[in-house]
Amino acid sequence: MKRRLPRLRSENLANASALAAAAAVMLVPANLLPVLTTRQPGQNRTDTIFSGTVQLWRSGLGAIAIIVFTASILIPMLKLLGLAWLILVARRRRIRNARRLTQLYAALDFIGRWSMLDVFLVAFLSGLVQFGALSSVEPRPGIVAFAVAVVFTVLATQAFDPRVLWREPQPPATSP
Amino acid sequence: MNAPATPKVTRGFRLPLVWIVPLIAVAVGGWMIFREFHDRGPEITIHFADGSGVEADKTVLEHKGVSVGIVTAVELNPDLNGVTVRLRLNKSAASLAAGGAQFWIVHPEIGLSGVHGLDTLLTGARLNVRPGKGPPATEFTGLERTPPPEVPKKGRTFILQSEKLASLTTGAPVFYREMKVGEVETSRLADDATLVLVRIHIESAYVDLVRTNTRFWNAGGFSFKIGLLGAELKNTSLESLVAGGVAFATPDTNPLAAPAEDGAVFTLTTEADKDWLKWSPKIPIKSPETVSRPEKVTDKL
Repeated sequence: MKRRLPRLRSENLANASALAAAAAVMLVPANLLPVLTTRQPGQNRTDTIFSGTVQLWRSGLGAIAIIVFTASILIPMLKLLGLAWLILVARRRRIRNARRLTQLYAALDFIGRWSMLDVFLVAFLSGLVQFGALSSVEPRPGIVAFAVAVVFTVLATQAFDPRVLWREPQPPATSP
Repeated sequence: MNAPATPKVTRGFRLPLVWIVPLIAVAVGGWMIFREFHDRGPEITIHFADGSGVEADKTVLEHKGVSVGIVTAVELNPDLNGVTVRLRLNKSAASLAAGGAQFWIVHPEIGLSGVHGLDTLLTGARLNVRPGKGPPATEFTGLERTPPPEVPKKGRTFILQSEKLASLTTGAPVFYREMKVGEVETSRLADDATLVLVRIHIESAYVDLVRTNTRFWNAGGFSFKIGLLGAELKNTSLESLVAGGVAFATPDTNPLAAPAEDGAVFTLTTEADKDWLKWSPKIPIKSPETVSRPEKVTDKL
């Protein structure tokens, strides 16, 4: 029984780069804008992802601060950088160490699903902590931008076909 | 026959349609950032001699009972003689950043003629502001204490000279026939320190009660006399017991003396003469129900 692999289409790379660019763009408001507001009597805090991490660290929750920092700041950035690297390399005519690059792709695909931690956190907190005047947590626009950035990153990773790394070296473009 | 011109082959640069996604992302992201920063008002700096209770990201500025800004930073001055508070105003309150605005720190206060700022016991200190009318400004000097309430436009103010302050405080009532017709605004020592000057305000409905020959006396506290015929306990009201108070009476001469001018000066005696209490002149007054109440300063802390 023969089964044909889907054809490697040239627009895969274009799709991946466009989605990666969109993700990179959305990371800017995601990190600049506040993601949640915590209201308590006499204390209204509005935190961005970074200020929230710093706050966790200062309150002695070092371990949680590291987890949040890794999942919400480090991984999205590294993932996007790795993807950009793959896309740039795949545009070259001749690709060396395709095996390494494929491993990198597999790693990116694997860690992608862990980036939604912040979104879950904000969704849970703003659903649960609603005690009126006593305390409440409200989502702010930054978390939307963050979720969109993560979704774009996942889509870009899906759009990137790692087989493009294993092409035959293409003949140099002939000038007319 | 001429040979046809060699066709020029050009490859137009075509952007794949998918690039519309990042373009939309730029537009949406840019709009989100723009809106966030657009909603922010100006940042102002206030210098205080003492910043007790003021904390960054926690202390809010309130005006007319609503939060209109938040403290972003509190720093000790380099020369240690005060603190500098930086404050981010809401966009709707941007006009508070005008010259002449007065800022002060509200602490819980019990006494005078009431309890003020009790919520700050729970929430910590907050800042309060009285708007200025000057040109836009970003640097202010905070007041050390709550300023006296603004002089309402209606009514009149009079100055009372007294030998001692006798527990008269801002907001203490002024009575006519044990009915409150005004209140004490502020007090200070005379320039030569021989007297205490107390400024009182009489509501507009009752200004005609104060004549040039009106006598004022201190109605605060209580006096207790034990004599041959028994004991006598005197006080005007519970309010005046706590905060002190001023009472006045106008002699029933015929015709009545002229109404006192705004800012007229009277002597404040420690006690009323017996016959002052018997005075009962007929003075037509505007009924307070028909006179609109003077616009009270809502936060007269």
